[in-house]
Amino acid sequence: MADKIKFIIKDLDLYYDTFQALKKVNIEIKENKVTAFIGPSGCGKSTLLRCLNRMNDLIDNVKIEGAVTLDEIDIYGDIDVINLRTKVGMVFQKPNPFPMTVYDNIAYGPRCQGIKDKKKLDEIVERSIVQSALWDEVKDRLNKSALGLSGGQQQRLCIARAIAMEPEVILMDEPTSALDPIATAKIEELMETLKKKYTIVIVTHSMQQAARISDDTAFFLSGEVIESGKTIGIFTNPRDKRTEDYITGRFG
Amino acid sequence: MRKLKDNLLKSLIYLSAFITVGILVWILGYVFSNGIGLINWNFISNEYNEKTSYVEVKITNTPLSINQESLNEKAFYNQKVDKPLSDAIYSEKLGIAVMEVEHSLRGKKENQFIVAYIENGSEAGEALDKSGKKIGINLGDVITKIDGEALEGKDLKDLNAIVSGSNESLVKITKPGYGVLTNIVTTLYMIILSLSIAAPIGILAAIYLVEYAKPGKLVNVIRFATESLSGIPSIIFGLFGMAFFVVFLKFNLSLLSGALTISIILLPVIIRSTEEALKSVPDAYREASYGLGATKLQTISKIIIPSAIPGILVAVILSIGRIVGESAALLLTAGTVAKIPESLFASGSTLTVQAYYVAKEEANIQMACAIGIVVIVLIIVLNILAKLISKIFNKANY
Ligand SMILES: Nc1ncnc2c1ncn2[C@@H]1O[C@H](COP(=O)(O)OP(=O)(O)O)[C@@H](O)[C@H]1O
Ligand SMILES: [Mg+2]
Repeated sequence: MADKIKFIIKDLDLYYDTFQALKKVNIEIKENKVTAFIGPSGCGKSTLLRCLNRMNDLIDNVKIEGAVTLDEIDIYGDIDVINLRTKVGMVFQKPNPFPMTVYDNIAYGPRCQGIKDKKKLDEIVERSIVQSALWDEVKDRLNKSALGLSGGQQQRLCIARAIAMEPEVILMDEPTSALDPIATAKIEELMETLKKKYTIVIVTHSMQQAARISDDTAFFLSGEVIESGKTIGIFTNPRDKRTEDYITGRFG
Repeated sequence: MRKLKDNLLKSLIYLSAFITVGILVWILGYVFSNGIGLINWNFISNEYNEKTSYVEVKITNTPLSINQESLNEKAFYNQKVDKPLSDAIYSEKLGIAVMEVEHSLRGKKENQFIVAYIENGSEAGEALDKSGKKIGINLGDVITKIDGEALEGKDLKDLNAIVSGSNESLVKITKPGYGVLTNIVTTLYMIILSLSIAAPIGILAAIYLVEYAKPGKLVNVIRFATESLSGIPSIIFGLFGMAFFVVFLKFNLSLLSGALTISIILLPVIIRSTEEALKSVPDAYREASYGLGATKLQTISKIIIPSAIPGILVAVILSIGRIVGESAALLLTAGTVAKIPESLFASGSTLTVQAYYVAKEEANIQMACAIGIVVIVLIIVLNILAKLISKIFNKANY
């Protein structure tokens, strides 16, 4: 069975002012799979990730050429960015819950979409927290500040906050790099269940993590995609010498 | 040799610190020792000018709840300027006790009848004047006439007999002046008015600068302007306010002219500190919000402003300090009339202007210092409040 393609990225160039951060990037991201972006830091993984929900729009002087399509629609064409971001959620490197209660954090997105009905919000909040495997830990403190949670709990809260929007895709930028191994394991476990429902794109610089959780992998080096394909293939039988050097830990 | 140099430097440092602290203590000491003699509740609660009016008091026939001895003990008078000449005499009809005192004000002595006690259940505190405005008889008010009969020279023993009205009694009272209530109220008006002009404009301007404006020439110009504005002495703003608001727009010397001028002085302060507060909101919050499909307006109103509130509040409180302390600009735009302004277009003097006025025009250093004490206390309270707020919010956030 051919997997359905979610994103197609075609000949994508991205410039920060005059600095070219992405060079002729071509990859496809499959639906309901986990795709990992790996590569040494500064090679453009985050930059590409942020192209997928147009977060780069927030930065001045960014120039983008090429095309990114989501379900065959050009997301740099005439589309509603707000709508795009509700479909493509994002989880950041450092857990960044808002300085509000756990409940308000999760309800923030839906409220911004105009949902006011208390019952509906309650339902969304509960469902999102349950789905992100956080319910038992926070059910008694929904009305306490989210900043009182541990780092790992905060990150799962951020995942719950993204899930509350019922997105199709979740982008994660090194979501476990600020966490301890136990919290990391919990999040990896969570991704395992989430991928049944969502398409996940994760940036990681831990090769083990990419190997453990991803179906597809793309390897980046100074703004170029050197190699992409099935994770097993990349890790067991890399075609490019540089990929091999990187995954065997010779640099990066 | 090295040691000598070290010691020399050390003593210089100590000396400088000592001089600074010494001068500060000396100034405060001077102000306090001169002014403290005037500070009491009357000074705060009296208006500057005494005010005489006829008031109608409902007759209640309230019996005295304490005996004469404790009434004399409790009797109110201002120990610094009043010398009691009689017992306090109680009138059941009015529900108040009156006492004759010798009142001395700056060398002048005068016998007065003052309200020394008000019984629970008396209607005296609710007394209205002829136009129906509530005046109220308070402790310390001077009574000159009751139902048309002057008290002067009367034996107080039959105070009850003087009250001839049956339902109501017409009492002529004089509220003592020589206090700063007028100026406190004017200062409050000035604070409220200036802030309601400057705070919204300043905060919105800061939001524009931080969240909307693309960095470039325009922003640099605005920034340069706000920075330069904050360095200009306030008398210059006063001159401008006088020429523009007072003369050109014909607002005259008034609360409004003063408040508009002060607003211009405050704007740079408010813009700068609000900008700092907005900038200190972590970008991670902005990203998280946009990542959840929030619009710019939603992000600003739901995330950024709430996170910046403590900084903005501190800016507002420091602005209040600035208003309380301003005198030069107000002297030229709001005038020196020591009356509670009845409209935006009425003149009124704030505490500091009044201090200037009584020192300069009446050579009354004692009162100026007393006002100084009130101002100093106010400023200290405001600063503590600002510190407290930022502390509380910092704790709440992290
Ligand atoms: N806002 C920005 N402005 C200018 N250059 C940037 C910006 N963000 C990232 N870069 C540059 O783009 C390159 C790729 O960055 P990034 O995508 O964050 O790398 P990675 O996530 O792979 O570590 C880096 O050289 C970085 O310095
Ligand atoms: Mg990165």
